[in-house]
Amino acid sequence: MPIPAARRTTATRRWRWNEHKLAALVLVTPALLIIVGLRIVPLVLGAQYSLTGDGDRNGLFVGLANYRTLAADPVFRTAIKNVGLLFLALPIAVAVPGLLATFLFLKVPGHRFYRSVYFFPVVLSPVIIGAIFNILLSFDGPLNQLLGKAGIPPVDWLGNSHIAILSVIGVHIWATFGMALVIFMAGFSTLDQSLLDAARCDGATLPQTVLHVVIPELSRTIQFVFVTTMIGMLTGMFGLVYVMTAGGPGGATYLPEFYIWVTQGQLNSPALASAASMVLFVLMLVVGFAQIRLIKRATKEV
Amino acid sequence: MRERGIGRWIVAIPMCLLALATIYPMLFTLNVAMKSRREYVLNRFSLADHLTAANIADAWNTTGLGRYTFNSVLVTAGSVALLLLLGSMAGYAFSQLTFRGRKWLFLVCLGALMIPFQVIMVPFFRVLGQIHLLDTYLGLILAYTGQFLPFTIFLMTSFYSRIPAEIVEAARVDGSTTLGVYRRIMLPLGRPALLSVGILNALFCWNDVLISLLVMQSEQHRTLMVGVTALRGQYSDNIPLFAGGVLVAALPVIAIYLFFQRQITDGVTAGSTKG
Repeated sequence: MPIPAARRTTATRRWRWNEHKLAALVLVTPALLIIVGLRIVPLVLGAQYSLTGDGDRNGLFVGLANYRTLAADPVFRTAIKNVGLLFLALPIAVAVPGLLATFLFLKVPGHRFYRSVYFFPVVLSPVIIGAIFNILLSFDGPLNQLLGKAGIPPVDWLGNSHIAILSVIGVHIWATFGMALVIFMAGFSTLDQSLLDAARCDGATLPQTVLHVVIPELSRTIQFVFVTTMIGMLTGMFGLVYVMTAGGPGGATYLPEFYIWVTQGQLNSPALASAASMVLFVLMLVVGFAQIRLIKRATKEV
Repeated sequence: MRERGIGRWIVAIPMCLLALATIYPMLFTLNVAMKSRREYVLNRFSLADHLTAANIADAWNTTGLGRYTFNSVLVTAGSVALLLLLGSMAGYAFSQLTFRGRKWLFLVCLGALMIPFQVIMVPFFRVLGQIHLLDTYLGLILAYTGQFLPFTIFLMTSFYSRIPAEIVEAARVDGSTTLGVYRRIMLPLGRPALLSVGILNALFCWNDVLISLLVMQSEQHRTLMVGVTALRGQYSDNIPLFAGGVLVAALPVIAIYLFFQRQITDGVTAGSTKG
């Protein structure tokens, strides 16, 4: 009686397949609902808002008018100019932790301790960091007093429109270089030890080893750090700006994210804020192009 | 490779200075919080005369920090619980189960990683208003869950894909259902990953200011970080009290860092070495 037996096997398999399919559905659906509902739908809505008007033209299609307003807005132009400064600061924000990670990899005395200390500010909120530096950098604060003792006139770290943005960027780098450091160190731990031994046998000096072995071997890590550091600068500085300067003096420390927040909340122009959001998103995508490739590689393993 | 001789000590000097530059601002703030206002005005750098927690206690009692702390604890705990539940469920499905569209759905989850909150802030605010969740705990919990879920799924998936398929097979042969495998195998075996991911998410939620500023409108629903920014305006002439408030907000994070440093650095690097 081969036929009923075969039928039964198929039935069992179909039942199991269904149970399996149902379970997968139950497991994935809640997460997908949240991600689609709270991230992807708002993104689409935001793109749509950016083409509508504010105030009495609320909801009306205005084409690219918001983008033209942005392009003419001196405050937004400052915000974009400050993004340019972030790009200029990027090599420092990558090179310093890279160099430190190399030292730590070479196991200087106390490397564990240094790693812990350097990473510590990363876990603190930008609000806490901003508050601490608000105290340190205030005009009558400790840093200026110290400078005074050395005979240097006080600097208005947060009140001078040319210096304030540099102060904020500097504090951001100070607070986050530990992050890049541990990523570099994770990269080092995957480095093939035999390559280093071979370099040493060939009599390579330390700078030669770094230049010809370490940097090429770690190119993926370096690329990753560049992208994550830049994205961190584009999207992680709100707290610092909010606490340290509130965008001032005279709008000198605006960044796109701060502009979006002020335009949406204080100025009550959500459509204009949406347009600024889209500009920031495009900036992010340009930077994140490398990240897309990393994600592609990650999904191959699933 | 181990560098020997004098080179080790030459690099030790800048490393030491940098470590000092990293830790000193915090020690300075700690010292200020221990001083009286008069002491601070007279000398910024002197050590506090006698160790006192008066400013910290004052900041706690007079500024509503207690209320804000309660809000932060509630919202952080709720968000982390939801994130771990949904993240581990989806992570299990993406790593161990085969179903149609798995790759695409996973790509959707990962793609959401590249949408920062700033970009969806305006419509998010409107959507939350329309479903009457603005200025509510649930609204903020959902906001955090949406924000950190893609990252959580990414880490949980990569962790669960390291669990050998044989273990899952064995459980199936013993008659376990797919959901039974989740409860009896994935959750217990995933405990280290859940701890690591949970701590990271707790830090993210606790430290956030932007999302909380947007969602929580009323003073009584403020989270701790927003509360600290408000202190700055109120007590700009009383720096020691302000420093005390800052310390209150930082202490839980410092404690978590001291206890769970390994888990935190493992968590943040897990995303990078995978690439």
